[in-house]
Amino acid sequence: MINAISTLSVLALLFGLGLGYAAIRFKVKGNPLVDQIDAILPQTQCGQCDFPGCRPYAEAIANGEAEINQCPPGGQEGVDALADLLGVETLLLDEEHGETKPKRVAVVDEKVCIGCTLCIQACPVDAFVGSSKVMTQVIADECTGCDLCLPVCPVDCIDMIEIKPTIKTYVPTLKELVHA
Amino acid sequence: MRLWSELTLPKLIIKKKMQASFLNTNQIMRQVIYALVLGVGAQIYFFGLSVLIQILLGCITAVATEAIFLRLRGQAIKPSISDGSAILTAILLAISIPSIAPWWVIVLGVLFAIIFGKQIFGGLGHNPFNPAMLGYAFLLISYPLQMTQWPSEFLSITHASETIFGLSSIDGLTGATKLDYVKTQLMMGASIKEIGSISISQLWINIGFLIGGIYLLFRRVILWQIPISLLSGVVVMSSILFLMDSNHYASSIFHLLSGATMLAAFFIATDPVSASTTPLGRIIYGFLIGILIVIIRVYGGYPDAVAFAVLLLNITVPLIDFYTQPKVLGK
Amino acid sequence: MPNSNFKGGLKIENPYPSNEIDLIRIPLPDKVVLPMQQRIGNQAIPCVNIGEHVLTGQIIATIDDDRCAPVHASISGTVTAIGNHVYAHQSGLKGLCVTIESDGNDEWVDTSIGCTENYKACLPLTIYDKIRISGIVGMGGAGFPTHTKMRLAAGCKNIIINATECEPGITCDAALMEAYPTKVIRGVEVLLHITGAEKAIIAIEDDKQDSINELNKYCNNERIEIKVIPTKYTSGAEKILIKTLLGIEVPSGKFASDVDILCLNVATVVAMFDAVVENRPLISRAVTLAGSAIKEPKNLQVRLGATYDYLLSFVDLEEGSHKVTMAGLMMGINLKGTDYSVSKNTNCIFIDKAQESVVAQECIRCGMCNTVCPVELLPQQLYWFSKSENIEKAMDYNLLDCIECGCCSYVCPSNIPLVNYYQFSKALYKKQTLEKAQIEKARERFEFREMRLERNKRERAELMEAKKIALKEKMAKDKAQKEKIDAALERVNAAKIDNKEEDAS
Repeated sequence: MINAISTLSVLALLFGLGLGYAAIRFKVKGNPLVDQIDAILPQTQCGQCDFPGCRPYAEAIANGEAEINQCPPGGQEGVDALADLLGVETLLLDEEHGETKPKRVAVVDEKVCIGCTLCIQACPVDAFVGSSKVMTQVIADECTGCDLCLPVCPVDCIDMIEIKPTIKTYVPTLKELVHA
Repeated sequence: MRLWSELTLPKLIIKKKMQASFLNTNQIMRQVIYALVLGVGAQIYFFGLSVLIQILLGCITAVATEAIFLRLRGQAIKPSISDGSAILTAILLAISIPSIAPWWVIVLGVLFAIIFGKQIFGGLGHNPFNPAMLGYAFLLISYPLQMTQWPSEFLSITHASETIFGLSSIDGLTGATKLDYVKTQLMMGASIKEIGSISISQLWINIGFLIGGIYLLFRRVILWQIPISLLSGVVVMSSILFLMDSNHYASSIFHLLSGATMLAAFFIATDPVSASTTPLGRIIYGFLIGILIVIIRVYGGYPDAVAFAVLLLNITVPLIDFYTQPKVLGK
Repeated sequence: MPNSNFKGGLKIENPYPSNEIDLIRIPLPDKVVLPMQQRIGNQAIPCVNIGEHVLTGQIIATIDDDRCAPVHASISGTVTAIGNHVYAHQSGLKGLCVTIESDGNDEWVDTSIGCTENYKACLPLTIYDKIRISGIVGMGGAGFPTHTKMRLAAGCKNIIINATECEPGITCDAALMEAYPTKVIRGVEVLLHITGAEKAIIAIEDDKQDSINELNKYCNNERIEIKVIPTKYTSGAEKILIKTLLGIEVPSGKFASDVDILCLNVATVVAMFDAVVENRPLISRAVTLAGSAIKEPKNLQVRLGATYDYLLSFVDLEEGSHKVTMAGLMMGINLKGTDYSVSKNTNCIFIDKAQESVVAQECIRCGMCNTVCPVELLPQQLYWFSKSENIEKAMDYNLLDCIECGCCSYVCPSNIPLVNYYQFSKALYKKQTLEKAQIEKARERFEFREMRLERNKRERAELMEAKKIALKEKMAKDKAQKEKIDAALERVNAAKIDNKEEDAS
């Protein structure tokens, strides 16, 4: 009886020391989890997740303060990828934060634009080119479709155009290919 | 050396659509069932029709279990049942157990095999373990008494049914298999010379399965790697032991023609779903099964080792597959 | 001596004997619909307008990229439409096409200017440009611009002419060689001259005996070897062919030009000959029409842009619903209906009687697919990973090396359409890579913007600080100044008071 207790105690002590050593010796600098989560998020900085940007949302997920299904631009695939990364069950995208829309880019109606530059200030990725009292237009390649420019435009001259797949950019779905 | 692809594929004729494969999955299962006929015939010749009763019970249980489970999973029943894999599992299990075992033995065994060996993993193609062997291992561990009472003489059909359904006792009808006998005798210190030669019934049953297996090889239903390597493994391991001490270890011929060696080589280990898939991997897989069969027979606690050898190697299949990938063109 | 055989592949009996189907020239079509999006490169931009009259061989669309080839009018007539029309593509999407209605004259552009017979006196760069201007692309199916391929393989040691036509059922290349053997040989001579290669090998399968005889009759150049290889499907895949003929393995991800080999399809060589020596751009090609719904298969020499319906009017088509396949029984794509037109890489059109589609069963892991893969991949593993969309693992198992030959799908006992799974995974991989790059770019721009705003704020704060300090200094200076003035004033006042007192006393 004494034998058993002492053996287990010694083992516990040894393992505890080992774990403590490992915790210090192999400590990872920074928080790579946040970076990994951030790499999966679509970087639209749209705020639909109720956080002021993608990085804060990533930090919140890493801290357990937010669910993984709050990002509409990432779509269900994004939620699944986050679930994979974190090793948790995947969830359905939470519709209350918005619905996933197909990839869209903003286009300014050039006849209506007044050059107020409010959209330039609103865009999180600087996808607008223009200046004060000068007509402004969107650089389509840079636009992430976050919709943040829509509400600030005083003359409502920005439209979101859906990008349709062309022969070159077409991606078939598994269902189509396999009649699954 | 002729290339394998030329060996397996004769000039295929393209019919209207590109569906002129030589055999589809359903036909493969059926061919395997047909190839079992000779071996089962030998069993009937020596021990009566009891094995057919077991097969019948097994098949009914298999189909019923699979149907219920498919319904529970919300899948279509007819396509899955008609591919014949459940029936094949039931038949393999039915011919592996003693033919005079009580009816509930085969029923429980098939239930376990179909449910825990196949359906909970997602049905055909998804199971990591050979279902028949899983069922056999379950029965052997749970009901060792019933699983070691082998028939020692020919039984008529009425006698057999009465025995199986518990209506008359089996005393006086049972005996150990030759493997069992050899093992106990060796443990008691007798030497091989004293024990005697291979039992006739085992010899012919194994030859029956061997011929069936060769038929499958020629029909290209199974590939040569697993049977040849399995039998080589048995020969190699038993020869090593025999050469070390021919008095206390049985010869290769004995191991090849006793127990379920031939059945394992051509019908059980060749189950494509649970076996290795790369050519080199198959050779390693079969060889190790052969070696394990002899080791477990000689040093293990059970007389016949096919089930455990196969199950153990099933676990290692992903590892074998990973390390035996062929070299890709251009890498 | 390399083994004239390779692992994997399938020996499939050709349903239509190649030796017996001659090349037939058909009359000019009434209209042609020319697609602007070729297989490789960006969409060509039309340089003609609706209503304009164009000549045969006139360039009607150009691409900004020097590596790609322009599109030519294949008949003379009037441009009647520039609009969207469905493409012969598995997506069924529409793309830009130029429609020309024939005026029946087949008036050509001036074909007297160019390299002609004296091509040996021309610089290689001139010849490359001529090939580009003539719109020559690979006609074996890949459609890679030939001039770019030749430029990449400049200085190559070996030229391989792929006349194997290994896909069963297609016979257009064989018919072309039987009809124009001299063009093939002389085209190879042009290639030898441009590249300076030591030798050229024309690889041809042994079931095309008539073509072999014709070529042998006209070939008397010792630098050109006509090599007959055993008939086996995928013997004509570029990497497999190079391994079979020369024993060289092209590294994964690289091309034949990286190992100093130029490999061209025989139809491309003939088109190139026409372009260099006869100054005629690529405006027609040989197309095989076959299938179980066509009584007698035919090889037709057609103008590009001719509609499928026009072609089918030359064969006996059985009634009933049909399955339309473009480009071969093994690698072809299924199309709906026949409202398409011939493009540069349409080598055959199969019309089969419609059949019930076969339901795929579960994979039983039999490994048959592993034994027939000519690239020695593990199709079974790729299947499981593609099914679960685990692209990372699929890439580990060399997904991108798959040539989509269809051997694995052919032998699968469960009738699983394996190649379609790999096509899906490859497309998914491309999409994921693209998305990752876009996300990275968006993040960089966002972080730069944050930094820029921070920097603005900081600079403004520093500016404010500096201004404050300057103001303080100024105030201090002013104050000091004021004190000086006050002191001076005091002194003045004090002096004044002193004076007053002195005056008073």
